[in-house]
Amino acid sequence: MREGFENVDWLERTRAEGDVDAWLALIPYARRIGVSTLPDPQGEGLLFRLDPREGNVGNVLLPALHGGVVAAFMETAATLDLMLATRMPRLPRIVDISIDYLRTARLAPTLARCSLQREGRRMGNVRVCAWQESETTPVATARLHFVLGDPGDAGA
Amino acid sequence: MIHGQTPGDADWRRALTRFVTVIPHTRELGLEVLEVTPEVTTMRLPWSDDLLGDTARGLVHGGVLTMLLDTVCGSAVLPALPAPEVCPTLDLRVDHFRPGVAGLAILAEARVVRVTESVVFTEGSLWQETGRPLARGIGNFVRLGPRNTPPGFAEALFADVAIDEEGDHA
Repeated sequence: MREGFENVDWLERTRAEGDVDAWLALIPYARRIGVSTLPDPQGEGLLFRLDPREGNVGNVLLPALHGGVVAAFMETAATLDLMLATRMPRLPRIVDISIDYLRTARLAPTLARCSLQREGRRMGNVRVCAWQESETTPVATARLHFVLGDPGDAGA
Repeated sequence: MIHGQTPGDADWRRALTRFVTVIPHTRELGLEVLEVTPEVTTMRLPWSDDLLGDTARGLVHGGVLTMLLDTVCGSAVLPALPAPEVCPTLDLRVDHFRPGVAGLAILAEARVVRVTESVVFTEGSLWQETGRPLARGIGNFVRLGPRNTPPGFAEALFADVAIDEEGDHA
């Protein structure tokens, strides 16, 4: 069976190895906007990084990153973080996202940290904070709900 | 606005085409403006494999839908104002009804619900097949007002220059 999120063995193995790059390889839009991960210096988890590339600009006058690209980055971060953080391997499907834009995101590296607020049997709730200069001055915060699918149920 | 005249729907369609082709992210994805009225703005995002969020299952990245809703709602704000102002997104909420699938263009529609002195309230929806919405968005935009809008913003939107980018999307 080919590699993919619905392949239970592959999902369990990549999750056990913390191989988020293998997951990102299957997410073309995340690659296009330049999402990567780095170890969280404050803990055992991950931080997420959005590359400051020209193609992510949404306002040429400032210039500033496209707010929708920042949202896509935060959604990617929340999804990947959730896939690592759940008790069992789960396949998250987004239900909704609510994002607050707090400051202009300049053409500079953006970092994000996620926290799993609740892991139920069917639903997960994740908060994401994204910043540039300092984590205490976020450019955006978001909260997301996901349905936690069973990776064995193909097409669920 | 343009030489003291009120722009018509065709002027606005050209202006918003200019708006989304000046933005690098939407220009590179080939976003097209289909129709603009003071109430409703419609756009079309052509298919490209870079929109995928899951190559194995052929599903659109949810973030593409958020990006598109932010763009179409933010664009719909401009013709609804007495004069174009820069209006950054205050917040955005997106409900995902079903995943988008590979190979089909994504259509986007946004309408302005209410304009106050400081905020523009909008809502938008996305679909690939008629009657099967992918997502709904609710976006609120802050009016920065004429004082914080760069001089020449309206003129740049309506500048009488041919927009050749339109031909590049074919």
